[in-house]
Amino acid sequence: MQAFDYKYQQLEPVKSFKRVPGPEMYVPGHRTCAGCGPALNYRLVAKAAGKDTIFIGPTGCMYVANASYLCTPYAVSWIHAQITNAGAVASGIEAAFKVAMRKGRHAGPFPNIIVMAGDGGSVDIGLQAMSGMMYRNHKVLFICYDNESYANTGIQTSPMTPYGANTTFTPPGKEIPEGKTLFPKNAPQLVIGGHPAVKYVATTTIAHPLDLMNKVRKALSQPGPTFLHMLCPCPKGWKFDEKMTREMARLAVETGMWSLYEWENGTYNYTNVPKKYKPVNEYMQHQGRFAHLKPEHIAKMQAFVDEKIKAVQRPIPVAAAVPGKQ
Amino acid sequence: MAKAKMLTGCRASAEGAKAAEVEVICSFPIRPYTAIMMELAKMVANGELNAEFIHGEGEHAQLSVVLGACAAGARAFTGSSGVGVTYAMEIYSPMAGGRYPAQMAIADRTLDPPGDFGSEHTDAMCTRDNGWLLGWACSPQEVYDNTLIAYRVGEDHRVMLPQMVCQDGYFISHIPDKVVLGEQSQVKEFLPPYRPISPLSLTHPVSHGPQIRPDQGAPMDAQRAQTFLAVPKVIEEATADFGRIFGRNYDPFVEQYKLADAEIAFFIMGAHANTARAAVDRLRKQGVKVGMARLRWVRPWPTHQLAAALGHVKAIGVVETSTSYGGAMRGGNLIHELRASLYDLDDRPLVTSFMGGLGGETIWPADFDHMAKVLTQAVKEKKVRNYVQWLGM
Repeated sequence: MQAFDYKYQQLEPVKSFKRVPGPEMYVPGHRTCAGCGPALNYRLVAKAAGKDTIFIGPTGCMYVANASYLCTPYAVSWIHAQITNAGAVASGIEAAFKVAMRKGRHAGPFPNIIVMAGDGGSVDIGLQAMSGMMYRNHKVLFICYDNESYANTGIQTSPMTPYGANTTFTPPGKEIPEGKTLFPKNAPQLVIGGHPAVKYVATTTIAHPLDLMNKVRKALSQPGPTFLHMLCPCPKGWKFDEKMTREMARLAVETGMWSLYEWENGTYNYTNVPKKYKPVNEYMQHQGRFAHLKPEHIAKMQAFVDEKIKAVQRPIPVAAAVPGKQ
Repeated sequence: MAKAKMLTGCRASAEGAKAAEVEVICSFPIRPYTAIMMELAKMVANGELNAEFIHGEGEHAQLSVVLGACAAGARAFTGSSGVGVTYAMEIYSPMAGGRYPAQMAIADRTLDPPGDFGSEHTDAMCTRDNGWLLGWACSPQEVYDNTLIAYRVGEDHRVMLPQMVCQDGYFISHIPDKVVLGEQSQVKEFLPPYRPISPLSLTHPVSHGPQIRPDQGAPMDAQRAQTFLAVPKVIEEATADFGRIFGRNYDPFVEQYKLADAEIAFFIMGAHANTARAAVDRLRKQGVKVGMARLRWVRPWPTHQLAAALGHVKAIGVVETSTSYGGAMRGGNLIHELRASLYDLDDRPLVTSFMGGLGGETIWPADFDHMAKVLTQAVKEKKVRNYVQWLGM
């Protein structure tokens, strides 16, 4: 392919809250629950990305509760995708803009193409399309807004639902007292471990808004595919007081249930690492989805987290070789 | 006029896509349509075609990629065969409902099980109620021509619907035949550039595909049904224009072969029509007053055109190359709609059907002799003995 300047956008980091861009791109019109983590997340992402953006919204809460006919909350272009195929639809949009620019129909800038997928639309039923997009090196930011369940259909377990959670597909009972018996997938590692075209992956939460916005801007400034994993607590699904949404995300980091990091060209950079992790129960006790658990189940969760946070001290080397740093 | 070249149906399809200057192509390998993508891959690699060639991770992705491309304003092209066509099933409805006029080339193949490479129309026929335009060719030349005609019809602002351009696997897709390719000036005159309606844009933000309330569903469905009522006129215009510009004239909906004075007729679509034509000629020499009607579009179904073309015939044998297990006539798909199309005539022809060409079998000239015999008998007895019989067993 001959070199062509597609005029990719470069978004400078936002230094402080005072310098956060003013214009809102996620505006009134949605009808999400009070205290909705994903809605708060959407607002921050859209604000960070700015007006030259196209969102792809696969089916999930952020489709069903957001995008009502004649009343969508997007000030930028947005398209629905099936829960299965966001990565592929995004690939097609990106390809169309490349041809349009080569043929002079679109002068630029190249749009920020962002997939806003739930955990199911990312690493469960949407995994194949996401992986295909990343493998093919499309310039697309794929965001997994993780509320740890299929929430809009009434809180069913997803591969991101934590061990021990009570969901409508994992109800605790006499035979299965802990509810969910499996441990979740590691979403960023699925991306990092198998997609040589991806050079930037990061995790964040809605309790860290500046960090979140800057990771969005950094991801969008890369020339290829990128992935952000964002923890978005869900009051309805996790059964906590809706005014504690941000608090839940903060506690997740303080207990080691969630870690903030960037992975760039093969190197991990962890931030907000607690000097001393709080016990996981300080996070779990606020959430009705864990209310049925016995001490041995909480101990099992603690052991899982203890193992996981070892990686924070000693980042795991990446399985796939990463060719040359930029 | 350009000289004829010997091209397969797959090559003709790729040449049609190239002539249409498709901009985003999405591939996934499955026989026999694969050769279309192999040809296009070469054209893109050689710089003959300024397009993005995307290796989809499956047919579901292929359809999704072209949906996105079309929504963003590109002319998009994909294709498949057999179980590949059905693997993409989820996306047909969003594609038509979103009014994205991308094109899918299909070289028909049987569905599994068992694995069989042979041609059979069931694959594309499975999609027929999802709101796509669905047409069949019976020669590589017609594949090339239909590729251009379908884009012109689908992208017309009175239509805005995706199209399937079908050809029988192997019989058409892999047997070379004479094809005259259009001159660039002819293509330019016939097919204007794709003009999307409200594409995804940075300057004019739009929302594609939001959720609707149940009471908003029926009006949207009705609007699509209304669109389908308008499609036949657009097809007629496009087919006439095609004839004027390229010098190849088609009956827009039904090829009518020696039907005018026919007492019995074969109703057929796709490759086996070529054998049927030869059979008609031979049977005519033997004094049998037989003709053939070949269907060019399944969607929109040409109800009135069929009633006009076949109303005077005494008995019709539908040659079925697709299955409809447990259906009203216990055999294939076409007989249901043909019988319904003739129902309001005062003097209805008798209609029976023959399952043929399934699993990629050849329908032999002798099979047509047999069908003619059954139809002649039905005329004599003034009734059909069976809704369906299976040929060659």
